[in-house]
Amino acid sequence: MLDALDKELLKTVADLEGLPKGAYNIRKNGKLLGRKISANINIETNAEGTGIIISVAPNTQNESVHIPVILSEAGLHDVVYNSFIIGENADVTIIAGCGIHCGSDKKEGHEGIHDFTVHANARMTYIEKHYAFGKGKGQRTLNPTTKVLLKQNAYAEMILEQIGGVDTAQRVNEAILEDGASLLIKENVLTEDTQIANSTNQIVLNGKDSSANLIARSVIKGDSKQDFIASMEANNKCYGHIECDAIILDNGTSDTVPSLKARHPDAELTHEASIGKIADDQLMKLMSLGLTYDEAVNHIIQGFLDRRVDV
Amino acid sequence: MLQIKDLTFTVENTDPGASGQKTILDRFNYTFEHGKFYGITGPNGSGKTSLAKVIMGINPVTSGRIVFEGNDITDLSITDRAKSGIAYSFQNPARFKGISFRQLLSIAAETDDESVLQKIVARVGICSLDFLEKSVDAKLSGGEIKKIELATTIARNPKLAIYDEPDTGIDLWTIGPMIDLLKKEQKNHQTTTIVVSHNKNFLEAADTILILKKGKFVYEGDLDGAIHLLTDLSTCTLPDLCEGENDVRCFR
Ligand SMILES: Nc1ncnc2c1ncn2[C@@H]1O[C@H](COP(=O)(O)OP(=O)(O)OP(=O)(O)O)[C@@H](O)[C@H]1O
Ligand SMILES: [Mg+2]
Repeated sequence: MLDALDKELLKTVADLEGLPKGAYNIRKNGKLLGRKISANINIETNAEGTGIIISVAPNTQNESVHIPVILSEAGLHDVVYNSFIIGENADVTIIAGCGIHCGSDKKEGHEGIHDFTVHANARMTYIEKHYAFGKGKGQRTLNPTTKVLLKQNAYAEMILEQIGGVDTAQRVNEAILEDGASLLIKENVLTEDTQIANSTNQIVLNGKDSSANLIARSVIKGDSKQDFIASMEANNKCYGHIECDAIILDNGTSDTVPSLKARHPDAELTHEASIGKIADDQLMKLMSLGLTYDEAVNHIIQGFLDRRVDV
Repeated sequence: MLQIKDLTFTVENTDPGASGQKTILDRFNYTFEHGKFYGITGPNGSGKTSLAKVIMGINPVTSGRIVFEGNDITDLSITDRAKSGIAYSFQNPARFKGISFRQLLSIAAETDDESVLQKIVARVGICSLDFLEKSVDAKLSGGEIKKIELATTIARNPKLAIYDEPDTGIDLWTIGPMIDLLKKEQKNHQTTTIVVSHNKNFLEAADTILILKKGKFVYEGDLDGAIHLLTDLSTCTLPDLCEGENDVRCFR
């Protein structure tokens, strides 16, 4: 069922060797390639036939769902609307991701609109990786959107990566947090050549004692361009933090606009932003340990884009 | 083993109101001998770090030559000097995002074999094994990062090790073991050791004391002979500008 190319794409975007354990839904070139549900996790096609609905039963513990998308058909622009409903007290990991293999000069693209409702006291880890490769010169577009609603005391950790080969990307993340809810987003984007990536983030803290932490890391190589817009709006006693760091190599450019909107006297919002070349002292240190300049640059970038969240 | 010949190092003068070049090291000459332990001290801003960075290749020389084990290394890159056996522990170590002590150590030791890395940590002694997990970022304390810095230098098994104020931020309980460690490395591996320090304990451990002042060594010898100079220096490092100890403009 899976050919060699499929396997390579799946391995890159979903760390999968063959078919996953637990529930999964694999979409290839706009069609369903395979689906498996579990006792606690249901997957069904939505009424419009434009995507899937993934429902995780309340109290489900330590289960995972894989929903990778692979694209290897020239000229295809695939659009899907997926909904995720995470029941109360559940604890689940969702691994999404899209891999494009482009073998021709025709455009290929994927637009995934994912909306999440994480019910009271549930925990969700969402990992999304985007990657494109292939010798074809066709433009590869990946436009992911995530919309998250976190109910009371719900927790979501979202790791969003675009690791290479994507020519244009319009990335959108939106979140609304209710009382006691907590959100961590870590977004890593690497662009090179003449690639363009825009990331627009809007987080609304409505709930008392809600908290959000948005950490964005960009590596901008070649003549590529990355714009990062993030707004955090606080309507209650809550805590929010935006951290956006960009490393520019070569002639990369970036507009970074963090914005904080405190609409409550007990709101606490902070941001840190930095854009620049790799710090000299870091390069010197690694070179004094025997690395060449290029090796030192690679190590620093790999660390910078490490997806393990250490906050 | 390391000869510094007629070395001059100048920088762009960044002092307020100043312009042009400022000479940090002035036609400097010295030969460091194989396997010896040197303690370099001298007032703040006298050029100790500049000298260390010139040897490591981080600072470019303005004129003069540096010869290491008979080879002229003046034009070698930092990387090539590191590969030829020179290691430097920074006074202010770099901090990274997303690089752990384990990764730094494995770059330094050129292996990711966990048992080798653990052996190095045990040999260094001053940091525990759980340090390996630590991220070498802004969250490390001043003392922790200095311990990590020192460990990465030792992991290189250098022929020449230069430690730039290794004791800053280090607690009283660790200073003794740190000195013992550097002495042990010197003895077991014949590491030529240069320690820049203001700490008497480190200077006591040295075979030779060198005092750097205004870009030149003004003293070479044992600690006893250096004491009067050191007390002078510790009295005031700005005699030219001094307006008297009780004056509100005392610069000390
Ligand atoms: N790259 C540079 N550009 C401008 N000035 C510099 C540069 N590097 C060093 N200096 C100046 O050279 C002088 C010597 O600095 P250096 O760091 O070598 O002193 P030091 O002896 O190590 O002092 P400390 O005991 O405080 O560590 C100082 O006045 C410093 O400001
Ligand atoms: Mg110094």
